[in-house]
Amino acid sequence: MSVLEQAHRINHRYRAFNHVAEALEAEGGGRLAGVAVSVKDNVCVKGMPSTAGSKVLEGYRPPFDATVVAKCRLEGAAILGKTAQDEFGFGTFNVNTPYSVPLNPRDTERSPGGSSGGAAVVTAVADFPHLAIAESTGGSISCPASFCGVVGVTPTYGRTSRWGLIDYANSLDKIGCMGKTVRDAALLLSVISGPDRYDSTVLHAPVEDYAARAGEPVEGLRVGVPKEYFGEGVDKGVSDVVWGGVKRLEDQGADVREVSLPFTRYSLSSYYIIAMAEASTNLAKFCGLRYGLHLPLEGSFDEYFSAVRSVGFGDEAKRRIILGTYARMAGYRDAYYLKALKVRTRVIMDFRRVYNDVDVLAAPSMPVVAPRFDEIAELEPIQHYMMDILTVAPNLAGVPMVSVPCGESDGMPVGLHVMADYLGEGDMIRAAAAVEAS
Amino acid sequence: MEATIGLEVHVRLRTESKLFCGCSTETVGAEPNMNTCPICLGYPGSKPMVNRRAVEHGVRVAKALNCGLAPMVRFSRKSYFYPDMPKNYQITQYEVPLAEGGYLTVNGERIRIRRVHLEEDPARLVHVGGDITSSRYNLIDHNRSGVPLAEIVTEPDIGDTKEARLFLEKLGVMLDHLGVYDPHAEGSLRVDANVSVDGGSRVEVKNITGFRNVEKALNFEAVRQWSMAGMGIDVSRETRHFDAETGSTSSLRKKEQEEDYGYIIEPDLVKINLRPEWVQEIVATMPELPDQRTRRLVEQYGISGFQAGVIVNTGLEMSLFYEECCRLYGDAETVANWLVTYLLKSLNYMGLTLKESGVKPETFVELLTLIDEGVISERTAKELIKDYAASGESPRRIVEEKGLALMGMEELRAVVAEVVSMNPDAVDDYLGGTGKASEYLVGQVLRRVRARADPNVVRKIIIEMLGSNGDNASVAQ
Amino acid sequence: MVRRVAEAARLSLTDEELERYEQQLKVILEAFRMLDEVDTGGVEPSFHPVELEDVLREDKASKWVWDPLANSMHKEDGYFRGPRIQ
Repeated sequence: MSVLEQAHRINHRYRAFNHVAEALEAEGGGRLAGVAVSVKDNVCVKGMPSTAGSKVLEGYRPPFDATVVAKCRLEGAAILGKTAQDEFGFGTFNVNTPYSVPLNPRDTERSPGGSSGGAAVVTAVADFPHLAIAESTGGSISCPASFCGVVGVTPTYGRTSRWGLIDYANSLDKIGCMGKTVRDAALLLSVISGPDRYDSTVLHAPVEDYAARAGEPVEGLRVGVPKEYFGEGVDKGVSDVVWGGVKRLEDQGADVREVSLPFTRYSLSSYYIIAMAEASTNLAKFCGLRYGLHLPLEGSFDEYFSAVRSVGFGDEAKRRIILGTYARMAGYRDAYYLKALKVRTRVIMDFRRVYNDVDVLAAPSMPVVAPRFDEIAELEPIQHYMMDILTVAPNLAGVPMVSVPCGESDGMPVGLHVMADYLGEGDMIRAAAAVEAS
Repeated sequence: MEATIGLEVHVRLRTESKLFCGCSTETVGAEPNMNTCPICLGYPGSKPMVNRRAVEHGVRVAKALNCGLAPMVRFSRKSYFYPDMPKNYQITQYEVPLAEGGYLTVNGERIRIRRVHLEEDPARLVHVGGDITSSRYNLIDHNRSGVPLAEIVTEPDIGDTKEARLFLEKLGVMLDHLGVYDPHAEGSLRVDANVSVDGGSRVEVKNITGFRNVEKALNFEAVRQWSMAGMGIDVSRETRHFDAETGSTSSLRKKEQEEDYGYIIEPDLVKINLRPEWVQEIVATMPELPDQRTRRLVEQYGISGFQAGVIVNTGLEMSLFYEECCRLYGDAETVANWLVTYLLKSLNYMGLTLKESGVKPETFVELLTLIDEGVISERTAKELIKDYAASGESPRRIVEEKGLALMGMEELRAVVAEVVSMNPDAVDDYLGGTGKASEYLVGQVLRRVRARADPNVVRKIIIEMLGSNGDNASVAQ
Repeated sequence: MVRRVAEAARLSLTDEELERYEQQLKVILEAFRMLDEVDTGGVEPSFHPVELEDVLREDKASKWVWDPLANSMHKEDGYFRGPRIQ
């Protein structure tokens, strides 16, 4: 069976794609020769429908490739298709979308996690050489990686260019990658990292061969275990499995110690306020004039814009637009938007301080294993948000992180989260590979 | 007309590329939407990149207006929905503007500048089937989207509508001299005005293009408000639109509260430090400001303050033209006289700018040289200058084509002799002492020779031929 | 609150949506208030995780070769068609 046929099979079974490529086209050799790369639907691929999981971009075919996609093509990759996601990244279970809701391959009654659900599913089940480009704003790579039992890498903010990424929150979005193994994901990370003259926020630090760090011994590596990440709110089964992983690191010679990130509990609110404020401005451009969903041109612009946006956005998108707009309105701006930015500084300082004493942090990626769809349907929006408590802080601080499968609880995969300092991807890969190997 | 006026002036900065992308800023003769890219069209996934020269121009403007420069600047997103906004937010500067607290002196009075900041231009809207309030739909051209603007905001220090026009004219001349904007480009300077009278509500009049329109719009608005005040009607606080065709303002929307722009710092851009070394570099390359230049012209060339002022205030182009002519010709005063009194008059009469006319320093100097060489009279030159100003053609060639060269003395004497012989009565009158008679004779000669003789020279020849008649003292001038 | 903000954001909500969101957002905003506990006196806001500076582009014109109208359904004579103002 050809790769494309297999992809269609996967899609048929697990609904992981919003679009499967019509043909696999690859040019030249390179580090990704022979590899099919799937791309999260909010990362632009020239000529391929890129909807970011939203109806408001139905049928939109970008006139350019995202920089990360171009880099993959240069290394000989073929683009396999666009993977399913929560609308614009707004979600933790990949249920917030009018398109495919992907199914967790381990148990199709359960969520694969979000917002990069489709990417994790394809990574888990593909039997051909495959790597996934995914994206994280508040944990959208770590969550599905953890729920599906694959490796998910979220690099330092700015390590990868965001040119061509359909924005959720510009100061929080990072394009990252998934693979079946740490080495695989690290390879893709090296390919997609690096400067780009089309993105002002991209880092210019040299890109390492991250895959080469996998397999390095962890003797002497200082591993911090933040106590706030193992307390109440984290499932005991999950906690135990992750502790097991940490112990195995210690057995390999790592220097494990407890640390504290006291502002962790505030990071959720800070994250959501900033993310929604930025998102509400990013989504303003969708008004049915230049791309995406169009309606017959009738009425005043207020009426036309409102009509398009009301039809084009889902519930969660509308909630976040409203909250985000509110958070930056005169009179509320100081209490919400500015306050959240100051709390963010506190969270960043937490990490800076802790990395004086340790090289990496280890914690559970998610507080639970993948929940069932019927359980999710009962949840209130605030409860969805609370699922992100373990991922928002490092995402807010922009530090790199990797979720590596570490065992199972209740028959479902559990991910261990390794977090490093800015541009500490090397040590992070090293530690994650050690967990994987143990 | 008296009114309390504050102005927000949007100046299109002269750069090759737009503020946040590499698209050309050239709009003349461009097909709609031909100078666009995903960035200035706000396509999803696109990100802005700041144009260095736009920042430098902003610094020049701030310095020329005596403002305090911020040590570092950031950009902000100003959110509002409108068909001319590709992203439905504008990237501007809110929290950290480029500069604050400056002034421009107009007629001895300081008009305070509240702030100067950079922002991107929205698109151009063409209203189809009506005007802004009545059109059936709009056509949108994004060639303008993303062009860099400097926004200059004044305090409400302007006390009457004429002062507003003078302020803008002075500002325009200064910006022209700074080289940061093209005064001839359409729409390169747009004004929003805030007007109130007698302590009443403040009305915003938006999007006025061109200095003449500003005074018109302000006068209309002031009159409107004064009449209402006179009748005891409250002026509502609102936004109005100026229609250049009817010369009137009409209501756009009621401004009960300030529109909430929900500002956030632009998260796709980083802060720009205005380091002292960089600012110094920029200031060092700043051209002379108009007031400076006027003083220098007086000192360097010995011309009057009035002439220097006219030259400078016509524009940078004219100042450079003048100096080049002086370099080529030498006699600065003569150049100034002919330039200010005659050339400018012709250009203004025909509504031509220097550039449009094709007039060049080399050919202007040629005209002056022709007078010096005696090829044409001053009188002829004053006539010729009109043709010259219209075409820019070489004056020497115009003289040849139109046969304007002064007649040789031999030939002229022959004509005078002929006229004298044909007008014995006039000659008798002349010899009898009538001053008018000599004028009559001069007139008769000139009818034949037209521009090819200087009337004074003709008079001298007549006196030579016929002798002085006692009245000659007053006649021969 | 929701109605006013939704209007500003050009979202026309049904009565059902208005009611539902009003409730849900109230709960969420309550939760956000926990930020009031944090002492941020003297703390600068962080607009990015790492503060980059002075990223500028040289002023050179370049042409992007594409069809800007290709993704739009509303166009006329090379222009985008937009809805009327009022």
